Amino acid sequence: MPVDLEKILRPVDNPLKPFEAKYMTLASGEHMVIRQIDRDEIPDILPYLEPLLHVERDYYDVVCARIYSELLAHYRYRAQDEYVLAVQIDGELAAVVNGRQVSPDLGMSLHTIALRRGLRVGAHAFAAKMEYHIDILGHKEVLIVAESPIGFRRWMIEYQLEKRFETAHELGGVPSWALTKELFDRARSTLVVGRRPVPPEILAKAEAKILPPSDPPTPPADLLAATRSMYDPTATALIAQRNLLGGEVDHA
Amino acid sequence: MAAREIYAYQCKKCGHLHYPFRMVCKECRQNDFFEFDIVPLPKKGKLLTFTKVYNLPGEFEVATLGLGMVELENGIRMTGQLEVEEPKIGMAVQGTVKVVRKSAYDKFYGMVFTKA
Amino acid sequence: MRNVYVAGIGITTFTRLEYPLSEIAAYPSMMALKDSGITDVDHVYVANMGSARVNHQTALASAVVDSLSLTPAGAAVVENGPASGASAIKAGFAAVASGMHDVVLVAGAERMREVNNLEATDFIATLTHPLAEYIYGVTLPAHAAMFTRLYMEKYGVTERHLAMVAVKNQNNAMLNEFAHLHQPITIEGILDSPEAMTNNPYVAEPLRFFDACPVSDGGAAVILVSEEVARTIDRPLIRLAGIGQATDTHAVHEREEPTDLLAVRRAAATSFEMAGFTPQDVDVAELHDAFTILEIVESEEVGFFPKGEGHIALEKGETALDGSLPINPSGGLKGKGHPVGATGVGQAHEIVTQLRGEAGERQVDGARVGFTCNFGGFGNNVVCLTFVRED
Repeated sequence: MPVDLEKILRPVDNPLKPFEAKYMTLASGEHMVIRQIDRDEIPDILPYLEPLLHVERDYYDVVCARIYSELLAHYRYRAQDEYVLAVQIDGELAAVVNGRQVSPDLGMSLHTIALRRGLRVGAHAFAAKMEYHIDILGHKEVLIVAESPIGFRRWMIEYQLEKRFETAHELGGVPSWALTKELFDRARSTLVVGRRPVPPEILAKAEAKILPPSDPPTPPADLLAATRSMYDPTATALIAQRNLLGGEVDHA
Repeated sequence: MAAREIYAYQCKKCGHLHYPFRMVCKECRQNDFFEFDIVPLPKKGKLLTFTKVYNLPGEFEVATLGLGMVELENGIRMTGQLEVEEPKIGMAVQGTVKVVRKSAYDKFYGMVFTKA
Repeated sequence: MRNVYVAGIGITTFTRLEYPLSEIAAYPSMMALKDSGITDVDHVYVANMGSARVNHQTALASAVVDSLSLTPAGAAVVENGPASGASAIKAGFAAVASGMHDVVLVAGAERMREVNNLEATDFIATLTHPLAEYIYGVTLPAHAAMFTRLYMEKYGVTERHLAMVAVKNQNNAMLNEFAHLHQPITIEGILDSPEAMTNNPYVAEPLRFFDACPVSDGGAAVILVSEEVARTIDRPLIRLAGIGQATDTHAVHEREEPTDLLAVRRAAATSFEMAGFTPQDVDVAELHDAFTILEIVESEEVGFFPKGEGHIALEKGETALDGSLPINPSGGLKGKGHPVGATGVGQAHEIVTQLRGEAGERQVDGARVGFTCNFGGFGNNVVCLTFVRED
C-alpha cells in the first residue's frame, strides 16, 4: 500500500535539459563555479542554510524559510519540475538558486539566496538562472518577484522587468514581474557572464564536496540592538527576544 | 505657449552675470537686496563633460540618466540632462526647458540638451 | 592661541550597525574617554549630516552628551556635509586654543543604512545646488564622474589608474580591524577578466562600482585637550598643529577651472602654513577617496605631487603602504567606509594611531607628521588637518 500511495503523491517530472556548469572570475580574483545539483546533494546544503532563518535584515529570514521548504520538497519528491543550481567559491557554498518549469514556454523563478556578500554573487547566480530558463529550457518568459529591496534593485530595475501584475506568483500570490527573451537578450552583454567549460581542476574541487560558507550573514550580536525596545514587531526578533528575556514579550 | 526659459541674474551695479542666483554679486559685492536684472540663458552651447548615471534616487522612474555640463554661447556654464546617443567632449548642443524631475506633488523644470 | 593635543581616540567598526545613532556616537566617545583616562569634559561637539533626514532625530548632540552622562557640559552638532568630522574637530580646536575650554570631546557618527540605498543616494544628493543641480538628478557619483572624464581627457588618467587606487585601498583595509570591507580585490577581477564588466559595472560613466566607497554606518571620537592636561596623561603627545579650511562655488559648473579643486589646494596650504610644515614633510596621509579619482587629484592639490602627475606616482607605488608617502593606510573611505559625519574624525583617528605607533600591520614606520583632507560637498568646502608627534 505505501508504494501505491507514493505513486500518487510523487509528481512525475518532465525531462529538463541539464545546465552545463560554468565559471567566472570575481572581483576578488577568486573563481566561482555555478553548477546544477541533483537531489542527493540537497541534504549537504540544508544545514548551511538553517542559521539564516534568524537573520532579519534584507529579508534573509523569509527567503531562507521559503527556499529551505522548496529544497526539502524537491528532495522528497513533493515539487513539480524544480531545479537547483549551487554556486561555489573554492568549493565553499556561496549561493543557491532555484526555480521551476510551469510549462514548456513559462518558467517560475523561485529564490536566490547569497551566503557571500559583496561580490555580486547573488547577481551572477540570478543571471545563470535566467540563462537556464531562457537559453537552455527555451522558456519564452520567466515570472519573478522580489522579497527584499536588494532583489528589487538587482532584478526589477537592472533588467527592466515588465509588470505582469494580473498574474499571481507562486510565492505568496503577489503580483508578478516577467523577464522575456527580448529583455534577456538586451541584458545579456552586461549582466550574463561566465565561461564554459569549467577547467577540470576547478570543477573537480566543486563537485568533490560542498564546503560550508566561511563568512555567512549572521544575526546581530545584540538581539535587542535593532531598536533597543521590547516591541520590535518582526517575528524572528520577537522570538529571539523572548528567548533572551525568558518570558512573554508583547507585540505592539 | 511660449518656450520656457532658465534665467541668469545680472548685477545692476557691475553687469556681472550669475547662474544660479546668489544674494551678493560675486564680482563687485556692491549690489543692494535683489538688485539684479533677469536675463534668459541662451540655449546653444558646447558640451564640456558628461556622464550616464545608473544609480538614481527613487523618484526617477528611468534606469539611467544622461547628464552634462555645458558652456553656453555667452560663457555661462550650466548643468543639465543630456539626451544624446554618443556624447563627446566639445560637441555642439542645444537645450529646451522641460520637466526634468517629478516628486509626489511637484514638477521641476530644467534644461535638457540634445545634439545641435 | 594655545597648543592643542589629542589625548584619546575611539572608533567603531564602519559597517552596517544595528544600534541607534546616539549610541553609534557614544560608543567611540566612551572608548576615547577610557583611552585617555579622562572622566570629565567641558564641551562636546558631534559631527553628523543625516540625523534629521535619515534617522528622524534632531539635536543629536543633546542626546549624546546625556547618554555619556557628561551633562551639564555644553554640546552642539556640527554639520558640514561630508566634511562634518573635520569641521567639528576645528570647532573643538578653537574652543581649546582660545582658552575657553580645556577638554573637548569631538565625536562623529552616521547611520546611513537605516534607509535603503536609493534613499541614501538621494540624501547625499541634497548637498548639491537645489535649483541648478539637484532637480536634474545630479548625484555625487554624477559629479565625480563628470570630473573624472575631464581629468582623463586633460591628464591621461585611465580606468586602470582608478582600479589601482581601489585595489590598493581595499587591500590596505584588510589590515584594519575597523574597516567596512574585508574583501581583497584584484585588478584581474575588476578590470581585466572577461567578467570584469559585470563584477565592476558602471555606476556613473566612467566611474565603476569599485571606484565608489560603500555606504556605511559608524562612529569615531577624539578628545582635544590643552597642553597642561595632555602632559598629565600617559599617552604619546600628538599635537593638532594645523587646520585649514576653504570654500568654493556651490554649483560645480561655476568653478573657475573645471579640473581644479581649489578649495583643497587652499585648505591644505593654510593647514601646512599654520603647522609650520610643507607637504614634503608629511609621512602619512588620509585623503578623502569617496571616489577613487579624488585620491589622485587630492594628492596633487595638497602638494604631494605636481598637478596632473598623481596617477604617475600611484603607478610607481609611491602611495602604497610600503611606498615613500603612504596614502590611506586605513583603506581610506573606499576600503574603510564612509559614514559621512564620522569620516573626518575617523581620518584623525587613523593618523593619531599611526603617529602613536599603534597601527599594527598597517603601521607606517617612524611616522611623525600626519595629514588629513576632509572633502565636503563636491569640493566646495574642504577642511585639512596636520598632526605632529612631539615626544
